[in-house]
Amino acid sequence: MKMMITKHPSAWPARFDLMQSATGLFLALFMWLHMFFVSSILLGKDAMWTVARFFEGYFFFGTNFPLLVSGFVALIFSLIIIHSALALRKFPANWKQYSRFWQHMRSMRHADTTLWLVQVVTGFIMFFLASVHLYVMLSRPELIGPYASADRVWSLRMWPLYLLLLFAVELHGAVGLYRLAIKWGWFDRGDPQSTRRRLKTAKWIMSIFFLVLGLATLAAYIKIGIDHSANVGELYTPSWMEVQQ
Amino acid sequence: MKRTLNFNIFRYNPQDPASHPHMEAYTLQETAGMTLFIALNQIRELQAPSLAFDFVCRAGVCGSCSMLINGRPRLACRTLTESLPDTITLLPLPTFELIADLSVNSGKWMRAMSERLETWVHSVEETDLDRIELPMDPDLAEHIYELDRCIECGCCVTACGTAQMREDFIGAVGINKIARFKADPRDQRNDQDYYAVVGDDDGVFGCMSLLGCQDVCPKELSLQTQIAYIRRKMAFAGL
Amino acid sequence: MKLIYTDVLVIGGGLAGMRTAIGVKRRGLDTLVLSLVPAKRSHSVAAQGGMQASLANCVKAAGDNEDIHFQDTVRGSDWGCDQQVARMFTHMAPKAVRELAAWGVPWNRVRKGEHEVVINGQRVTLTAPAKAHGLITARDFGGTKKWRTCYTSDGTGHAMLYTLGDQAVAASIPVEERKEAMALIHDQGRCYGAVVRDLISGELSAYLAKATVMATGGYGRIYGVSTNAIINEGIGQALALETGVARLANMEAVQFHPTAIVPAGILVTEGCRGDGGLLRDKDGHRFMPDYEPDKKELASRDVVSRRMAEHMRKGKGVASPYGDHLWLDITVLGEAHINKNLREVKDICQYFLGIDPSKEWIPVRPTQHYSMGGIRTDYRGESPWLSGLFACGEVACWDMHGFNRLGGNSVAETVVSGMLVSEYIADFCQKPENDLTVSTHLAAEFLQRETDKLKRLFTSSGDENAVAIRKRMEQILMEKVGLFRNGEHLREAVEELQQLLIRSRQISVASQAQGANPELVLAYRLPRMLKIAIGIALGALQRTESRGAHYREDHPERNDRDWLNRTLCHWNSEDDTLPVLDYEPLDVNTMELPPGFRGYGTKNIIEHPATEARQTQVDRITEAAPSDLNEQLMPFRHLLPEKYRGDNERLEDSNP
Ligand SMILES: Cc1cc2nc3c(=O)[nH]c(=O)nc-3n(C[C@H](O)[C@H](O)[C@H](O)COP(=O)(O)OP(=O)(O)OC[C@H]3O[C@@H](n4cnc5c(N)ncnc54)[C@H](O)[C@@H]3O)c2cc1C
Ligand code: HEM
Ligand code: HEM
Ligand code: SF4
Ligand code: F3S
Ligand code: FES
Repeated sequence: MKMMITKHPSAWPARFDLMQSATGLFLALFMWLHMFFVSSILLGKDAMWTVARFFEGYFFFGTNFPLLVSGFVALIFSLIIIHSALALRKFPANWKQYSRFWQHMRSMRHADTTLWLVQVVTGFIMFFLASVHLYVMLSRPELIGPYASADRVWSLRMWPLYLLLLFAVELHGAVGLYRLAIKWGWFDRGDPQSTRRRLKTAKWIMSIFFLVLGLATLAAYIKIGIDHSANVGELYTPSWMEVQQ
Repeated sequence: MKRTLNFNIFRYNPQDPASHPHMEAYTLQETAGMTLFIALNQIRELQAPSLAFDFVCRAGVCGSCSMLINGRPRLACRTLTESLPDTITLLPLPTFELIADLSVNSGKWMRAMSERLETWVHSVEETDLDRIELPMDPDLAEHIYELDRCIECGCCVTACGTAQMREDFIGAVGINKIARFKADPRDQRNDQDYYAVVGDDDGVFGCMSLLGCQDVCPKELSLQTQIAYIRRKMAFAGL
Repeated sequence: MKLIYTDVLVIGGGLAGMRTAIGVKRRGLDTLVLSLVPAKRSHSVAAQGGMQASLANCVKAAGDNEDIHFQDTVRGSDWGCDQQVARMFTHMAPKAVRELAAWGVPWNRVRKGEHEVVINGQRVTLTAPAKAHGLITARDFGGTKKWRTCYTSDGTGHAMLYTLGDQAVAASIPVEERKEAMALIHDQGRCYGAVVRDLISGELSAYLAKATVMATGGYGRIYGVSTNAIINEGIGQALALETGVARLANMEAVQFHPTAIVPAGILVTEGCRGDGGLLRDKDGHRFMPDYEPDKKELASRDVVSRRMAEHMRKGKGVASPYGDHLWLDITVLGEAHINKNLREVKDICQYFLGIDPSKEWIPVRPTQHYSMGGIRTDYRGESPWLSGLFACGEVACWDMHGFNRLGGNSVAETVVSGMLVSEYIADFCQKPENDLTVSTHLAAEFLQRETDKLKRLFTSSGDENAVAIRKRMEQILMEKVGLFRNGEHLREAVEELQQLLIRSRQISVASQAQGANPELVLAYRLPRMLKIAIGIALGALQRTESRGAHYREDHPERNDRDWLNRTLCHWNSEDDTLPVLDYEPLDVNTMELPPGFRGYGTKNIIEHPATEARQTQVDRITEAAPSDLNEQLMPFRHLLPEKYRGDNERLEDSNP
């Protein structure tokens, strides 16, 4: 009773699934770094300035190439587009599906199920908010710096967007990584259920850590932004350059 | 003990023109060791002779009696009332065709799943029944049995948000079956053959790792592990 | 009028029905399976312990073969079985296990090297040879000389039924779930199929077939408490009985298992006692040694059950809302042992009793377990009275169990009989004289009759309550047709059951739903169950001896002189309240194993006059040890389908 393969199945579902995970993984890891870079402001304006110039290649070429940043932003942007497009396949396709999921979630009261809706909602939010943010980064990469960023956050009223985006990305990313580990069976030696419990703890720690870091960072930008609100537009000069002058 | 239990039970018989979907309340005196099997039978005997529900083994091994008990799919026969609050809400499994009241046609779903995934040992040789059987590693035999323990109760399908949204999703039960046959050397299918039946978004790639299945399976099958395993194999086969 | 034609109509989707359907399909016939529930949910799925077959692979099975299996089976039956059939069965069992192995059952396997087991409460180390590594292993079971019970952990029936169910899907055999056979269509001694009710839509249709196979399982659920699935209500037996032509046999042979939990009636394995568990009464007293100082808790199933009942009758039972019970104490075994070796028992205690068996005692009592009797068939599985009607599995009295079946022999019987009977059916169907020539008129007539019956239930003005009648029936059987029987109680039982049958004709149904309607279902099944109940009670009343599971306090001896026979039972007319019983003798002169002493209690047998002479004859032939010993003692191979006549190979054959 050997089966005859009658249909030649498409390889795309496998590829899509891998791409979804790969883009998700890349984005999540990128966001960790991103959060660390951005939070360099907590170490002082100079630190932040250094990080920003670093990415413009200042320390390699001796001069700034903001286009480097634009290029990188474009890459991230396209990954997000791909990731979102793939994720869109999983979204509730119509009202009926949505309401069935909603009812199901309410009746199950089951954490991993509920967290999926959190992912969908945060993903949806990010799709718009991240686009705005990325567009800014893409179009004015040279305006990344202690004062310019702080002005954007405070004087240009970007902070509500960042606040929302922060929560969205930290929840979404951590849940996504947790799901990724479950999905592909990573760390699955021995007892998968205790692995899962540990992963879940790690996930919460991750979210909270980056939220705290992000909030502190945002507060720092806001403080600088308020202090600097009189001089919007002025760019930061690192302290050592001031001394030279 | 000595509680009065308040049951809210879904009632609807699609075959009866006079019937319409609604919840009906029944009360019952709890007794020691009462399971939902005992409770539902008492309700039927004394209060609602037409109440439809399915029990067969009433011992937690046949998979007939799954229903939503206070929102979660469970085997009713092995649920003690003392493990539940005073108010017990019972609904039929929503993912399957309703027969009447708490009775659903999960058997039909499972048969369709079996046909679709070809859940049987595919082999070409005829066995000579007079000869000593082929040996099999004892650990492998036990491993196959562990995967074979699924009772097709449908709890995992109902607990799965993906299956709720997408009717054609094969569910943890189906993916676990593929893992079972893939582990079995007597099934001569290769990964491409398995890919042909589960390698799409209604199959293993449809699973969104919600893990409701893992958390409700009454046989505590390693669904999470099996789905991940099949996903890895199928992703590789698909490349 | 809806008519469905097929070659072979299989009624029942348990192990027996599935294997039969696969068999006839492989012979090129068209077939169709009906089942009350999805086939994989049939009662067969609940069998835990295993399936007997003399493979002789594991250490404690060395030297096992068909002969020893045969002798165990005949002794177990208390010489009530058909020895030719028992021979055919033991010859086929290894083939059945091997076929299932090839089809996917993950039988537990022998592991080479040393391992520890518990035998009689003692730890023993066994060493399995390397050549047996990976072959199918076996465990110990009651009443067998060798370890012969093949198993898959504690889910043997599950693994077997799922494998067969999957093979049926592979063979594209339609399995119509939630369909109930309501009557057999027959005329002048020929069966043509069945009237069938769709349990979802309520529609009646006629299924017409060259051969009709009953594989509907046992009748445990007419007893108040049973280990059986709740769909085992004896409807298959009743449908055969209601033809007025086909006969049932040995209905009084009903097996009780000592330890089912209270109230759920779920079986906890004999292994509890095998490993050292004790039975205690309401005072915590261990009572078995008082009755059976020798074997104590480990006496045979029927003996332990009887002693427990006796003790409860003395007022030593523990009162509960669900009736009296006793305690099974396995706390003595320790938590580690229970977690490792009695996982299933632990689960059952946890889920159904909410207790931890390593700390608390388990409430148990003897509970109805198995129906040895059923539709009488010849060795081909066909009713000698109703041509074209076949039966196999627990519903049948093919008769390899006689008056007591051995654990592990039942699932083996289902598959073996499915293998054999499907071949005989195929032969039957291929004969031109057995072509389907039924007139649609006959089908219409039977359909109309069933339609009218149902209509009557809906419109009846009767005021009888089906639930009350059923409860009373269950109670009578438990109290008066249970483990202990006596003339007085049995007479009362027969009397009252007849009253109930008469009353059951006045049942009316309130709910008018045509489809799923449990009230209606009970109303039409109840009179059928009552007929079976009466058959059991009357058979027990008339059989004035004790044999196997049938125990008469007023006739404690086994009486081969007068009762070495099989009870036959048929129902003459719809209006009757009693079946007609007659008896089919078992011929001592053709027995390979003439009647002897089973070895329990004291020997209490009234010998058959022919036994001694036959024994001498058998001894003489055996001593001469001819090469065709079997043929000389009791030929049976010629009865088997040709392809199954070969010898079974064993390890010892391959390495002389
Ligand atoms: C708890 C328990 C444990 C057991 N353990 C063992 C063991 O370890 N070893 C062993 O050898 N035996 C064991 N037995 C006995 C064994 O399980 C049964 O005897 C055997 O499975 C019967 O199989 P069957 O195919 O004849 O019937 P079943 O499996 O009972 O199947 C009957 C089928 O008939 C169908 N049916 C019934 N009536 C109708 C109708 N009117 N119309 C249509 N369909 C109908 C049902 O839907 C079902 O599909 C055990 C029994 C019990 C109760
Ligand atoms: C911008 C940063 C983003 C990060 C870091 C990120 C990260 C991740 C990760 C790691 C996963 C798990 C992948 C998997 O299970 O295969 C994931 C899944 C998902 N992402 Fe994102 N994502 C981001 C953006 C988005 C956006 C913008 C959307 C919405 C359009 C989105 C929607 C989803 C959805 C719905 C899933 C679940 C997919 C599934 O369960 O298979 N994500 N994301
Ligand atoms: C290459 C791409 C990116 C670059 C170069 C970049 C750069 C920056 C910079 C410079 C800031 C400081 C504020 C500002 O200047 O406006 C910032 C803040 C922020 N970015 Fe990005 N970003 C990128 C991608 C993303 C993505 C994909 C997300 C989320 C989906 C994101 C979320 C945030 C958030 C939430 C903040 C606020 C910081 C906080 O609260 O700590 N960024 N980003
Ligand atoms: S996998 Fe578990 S929950 Fe799903 S059908 Fe099987 S036994 Fe039920
Ligand atoms: S709940 Fe559903 S989404 Fe996957 S992990 Fe289980 S099948
Ligand atoms: S009735 Fe069989 S699992 Fe509940």
